Amino acid sequence: MVRIFKAGGKLAGLALALGFMTAQAQNDGAKTVETGTFHGKVHSTSGRATIYQEKDGKLVLRLTRFKTSNGPDVHVVLIALKDADDDANFLKNGTDRVELGALKGNEGDQNYDIPAGTDLAKFQTVSIYCERFNANFGAAPLTKF
Amino acid sequence: MNTSWITRKKWILIALGVPILIALWWAFRPEKLWINQKVDEPAPFASTADPQPLYTGTLEGKAHETSGRATIYKAPSGSEYLRLTDFKTSNGPDVHVLLARGDDENLHQEIVKGQIDSIELGSLKGNQGDQNYDLQPSADLGKYNAVVIYCERFHAIFGVARLDQF
Repeated sequence: MVRIFKAGGKLAGLALALGFMTAQAQNDGAKTVETGTFHGKVHSTSGRATIYQEKDGKLVLRLTRFKTSNGPDVHVVLIALKDADDDANFLKNGTDRVELGALKGNEGDQNYDIPAGTDLAKFQTVSIYCERFNANFGAAPLTKF
Repeated sequence: MNTSWITRKKWILIALGVPILIALWWAFRPEKLWINQKVDEPAPFASTADPQPLYTGTLEGKAHETSGRATIYKAPSGSEYLRLTDFKTSNGPDVHVLLARGDDENLHQEIVKGQIDSIELGSLKGNQGDQNYDLQPSADLGKYNAVVIYCERFHAIFGVARLDQF
């Protein structure tokens, strides 16, 4: 009898722990840090760019409702400017930039990890950048959410 | 004579032409003009228990300096509300929060002549700080997509935020 009671207690404890864990997972939402919308006419670029901070402090850039023209060697970069014009050449202009990776697709929702230690106060704009021709396809200036 | 010249130089033309064509193709990838690469990654986190932002925009000052962010959220219960954050405007008499049509010509003015086609959200609770305003479920946010801080007494637009889908 005592044994059954003990087992029951253990099960209840386990259930409680599991319940607690799922509640934790649900509250594990990331914080929205900054957001902005893309503009770009020459290579028609549109959609939203949002930077989230996960619980562990990691920053993630997410593009939603995103659309740009397909092209060769297109990358996602953060640039140290308030905004950028169509076809701006960051190489020639000596614009500081942080590489976030090759563009995963020219349409659709997508995420990019931001390297630890990136200063968002300095890198204020997301650019869709064609590395082959050093041309800005579209830029999204970010503001605090 | 001409044809024989082409026959003799054919291999030289091919030897030069083919690499040039390949190089041009590699540089410009013209087929990408017609080929799309679609992706659909999920958000890297689950936060469906929290209110979801639907529309957001930043406030621009008109008759008075106004700044901050205006965001429309949908609560898990389904109700929608406007939230102002980092908000700042000048204090004034009879100041209200409205939703107006983004294409309304009046929004370019500082003082409105006549009426703005708008949805009233209530009196401004404070001229500084974070604050929420409930929306009626009937509010058509596709049409009324601008937040206006409006002084009813003087028909003065203090500030406008044009909202975009989040």
